[in-house]
Amino acid sequence: MSRSASSGPGGPPGAAPRFAVVGVPGNRRVTLFGDAVRAAGLPAVRVVPWLDVLRGTAAFRPDETVRLDSPGEDPGVERLLRAVEDPTRVEGTALWYARFTAAVREVARAAEEAGATLLDSPQEVTVLFDKRLCHAVLHGAGVPVPASPTSGAQAPAVRGWADVRALMTAHGMPRVFVKLAHGSSASGVLALETAGPGRVRATTSVERDAGGRLFNSLRLRRCTTEREVAAIVDALAPDGLHVERWLPKATVRGRAADLRVVVVAGRATHAVVRTSRSPLTNLHLGGERGDLDGIRAAVRESGGSWEDALSVCERAAARFPDTLCVGVDLLPSTGWRRFAVGEVNAFGDLLPRLTGLKGSGAEGQDTYAAQVAAVLNRAGNHRATAPS
Amino acid sequence: MTDIDHPETFRGLPVFTLPGPSDEHTEPLPAADAVAWRLESAWQDGLTFDLLWRHFLDTVDTTRVRALLVGPWWQEEYTPFGPVIALLTAHAERLPALRALFLADVVSEECELSWLEMADITPVVEAFEGLEELTVRGCGEQGALALRPVRHPALRSLRFESGGLPSALVRAIGASELPALERLELWLGVTEYGGDATVGDLAPLLSGAGFPRLRHLGLQNSEIQDEIAAAIASAPVVTRLESLSLAMGTLGDTGAEALLSGQPLTHLAALDLHHHYISDPLIKRLAALVGPDRVNGELDEAEYWDAEEDEERYVAISE
Repeated sequence: MSRSASSGPGGPPGAAPRFAVVGVPGNRRVTLFGDAVRAAGLPAVRVVPWLDVLRGTAAFRPDETVRLDSPGEDPGVERLLRAVEDPTRVEGTALWYARFTAAVREVARAAEEAGATLLDSPQEVTVLFDKRLCHAVLHGAGVPVPASPTSGAQAPAVRGWADVRALMTAHGMPRVFVKLAHGSSASGVLALETAGPGRVRATTSVERDAGGRLFNSLRLRRCTTEREVAAIVDALAPDGLHVERWLPKATVRGRAADLRVVVVAGRATHAVVRTSRSPLTNLHLGGERGDLDGIRAAVRESGGSWEDALSVCERAAARFPDTLCVGVDLLPSTGWRRFAVGEVNAFGDLLPRLTGLKGSGAEGQDTYAAQVAAVLNRAGNHRATAPS
Repeated sequence: MTDIDHPETFRGLPVFTLPGPSDEHTEPLPAADAVAWRLESAWQDGLTFDLLWRHFLDTVDTTRVRALLVGPWWQEEYTPFGPVIALLTAHAERLPALRALFLADVVSEECELSWLEMADITPVVEAFEGLEELTVRGCGEQGALALRPVRHPALRSLRFESGGLPSALVRAIGASELPALERLELWLGVTEYGGDATVGDLAPLLSGAGFPRLRHLGLQNSEIQDEIAAAIASAPVVTRLESLSLAMGTLGDTGAEALLSGQPLTHLAALDLHHHYISDPLIKRLAALVGPDRVNGELDEAEYWDAEEDEERYVAISE
């Protein structure tokens, strides 16, 4: 069991935290966090490569505060986690999940053994990287989420297109998102709509080649026959699928909009709007950053509450109390009055140069500086409350 | 350029979606004549359009309502539009001030255009005699969207946004008496989605006989856009127009050359050709002829790619 993030950073009370980041050396995430640490006048970050963790050679120091960052964007790491040669392949996420969560447990064990403090929790990582478990945790806590027939560990596995189709019919859901249980960045996602027998349409970033292999494509595709959709879903299913209702998103000038809200130490600090002409708003798939002030105004004018929207995100993040920072995908319904949480991302803080929301306490700080400040703040509180 | 959207204003009024009966909406509702009211029942836990309509009649002074938009009218599964038409028609006397009506303010995020189960809209046109502006969105696949020839003294603006407008409907518009009509916009769409109108079906519109006050004509979003351009090049109606749109379709050099060699277009204040396949030299000649600031020659990027189905040229809005 790791020490929880809320118990304060490692080292003696009052000492400046020394950060170690488990990440991919040279990756921009690691660089940006290192910049924030330096800007705070703290000792340089020590980077612990995921490759070392996976090879069993990673070690931590007693006074370290350990941050987990994404293992993505490193072909060598990807190969070890997913056992695929080509990182653009879609398959292998079930193996990735098993190996990644085991690696996080190993980090936690090594950190605890060394007396270091981990800013993440292996238990919460296990939930955050399984959309079915994450959905159940949020739903169980009363956080609004799109309805799902695959929520929780007890839900029956989805073995292929026939199962998806049956779930859609049984639950009266003609429009759903089909997602890889352990996918990220819209990999292996289909926005699927049906109307009566035989009418189906899917929008997806999945490209299926003649040999049946699946690739992540930057170009969205439309599938309009059941045969095409079934071939893709059947090929995705062995890695585990999550199905949830596709609630239409609010639109801005013809573009569907959602929000990524970063919550640091319980507080919604940063938000960006993403808009797209497709149902997938990810920036690498043609999504664009939208105008946050415009969204706030739209929410207000329609009679909704921006504060409520942020509090939904904070309630979602509160289910992960031992994780310093999460990125919450917030889905505004048409009309801007209702909000639901699409996903909670453990590594959802890569929003370079974005500064904090007014009144969040992170004004002028990027997502990384806000996290460093939160750790320092905890250290301060720790010092203040420690018996003298 | 975005062609399908939820309008933020309609008839010059801000669009306001009526909160549902169980919505936690604490702000007072706007004045009945200060906004364009939008009704949407879908995805709201058992709310039906019927219930929402009664809620509208009960909570808003509908005698002062000037503009109305019908949004997604189903619950979860898509349902036909006919019952909505019947409701509107049955309560027409409750909306004596209604001047503008938008039928099916739905975007593809909510339902693909071609899947909207539209209906015969004639009863609505006949029931609201004071109507000045009518916009209809939806396709004619399976022949659902329909209109019989009508006589309407007040209608000034008529727009059909569609990925496939049935030829019977196009002919019915041509056979209608609309003496006040100033703006007519038809998104003709593609055969695959029921857009089977030919240039012959457009003949009454091109002659201009039925609509003496017509100032804007849009014959757009068509897969026979070149043929339409060729017909426009000699159509009597053009001399009366202030603006013309042949946008959103498959307009190419054939159509552009027809426009360049046809009747004068220099009187047009605006010629909208956005989303086209005209080569650069010809679009420049058109711009020079009509006036560069009067021609919209914007290109569009493909949003999706369907390797099995897509052809080289496509209209802006189909499915």
